[in-house]
Amino acid sequence: MHGSDNTAGEMFLDKDETLDARGLMCPMPIVHLAKKVKGMSSGQVLELLADDVGSKDDVPAWTTRTGNELLGMEEDGKVFRFYIKVK
Amino acid sequence: MAGKFVMVVSEGSFDKAMMPLIMGTTAASMGMEVHVFYTFFGLKLLKKGVRPKLKGLMRLFTGMIEKKMKKLNVPGYDEMMRQAKDLGVNFYACSTSMALMGVKDTDLIDGVKVLGASAFLNIAADSKVQLFIG
Repeated sequence: MHGSDNTAGEMFLDKDETLDARGLMCPMPIVHLAKKVKGMSSGQVLELLADDVGSKDDVPAWTTRTGNELLGMEEDGKVFRFYIKVK
Repeated sequence: MAGKFVMVVSEGSFDKAMMPLIMGTTAASMGMEVHVFYTFFGLKLLKKGVRPKLKGLMRLFTGMIEKKMKKLNVPGYDEMMRQAKDLGVNFYACSTSMALMGVKDTDLIDGVKVLGASAFLNIAADSKVQLFIG
């Protein structure tokens, strides 16, 4: 899956599911994230896309508080891409 | 996240209607147990078919802000209330305010529990975060 021309930002391609929260504003990305993760299994990786500027700090705060693991985050223009490992 | 988050809402204007729902859905999404107690003018927010208005003369512009929210894909009052309930946020109506405001049990939206101050304080006593919205 990992092609040689992958950018550094695509290093976490091994994701199980993607949640596209673009176009949603605070607090909806977090609300949808919590619901999505609830339906996933432990160890699975979720890719979350969000363009609400608050997400940049909201998502790390959410993972810290809920005990899920934030594997990485990247900014792609106005879009934030998060990789979250389910607790 | 273990922990309890309680709010008391004593005003019923648009911003004070939205704040506990925004904070409540977020806290519930973070794994917190959420309890919201509505009293005085806040109580009307728990009535069926309510459409909160901006405060004072600004109430005339409520439709404008609702339109703007829709445009920005920000959920309105009803949708946020639905989300909050879905996430398990607990809503309480102050029993004395109900008598004072002439609000009956049957006026309230489903899932609201009527409570006295003492019972609410018992719930709030071991909470980690408390907010007063009024």
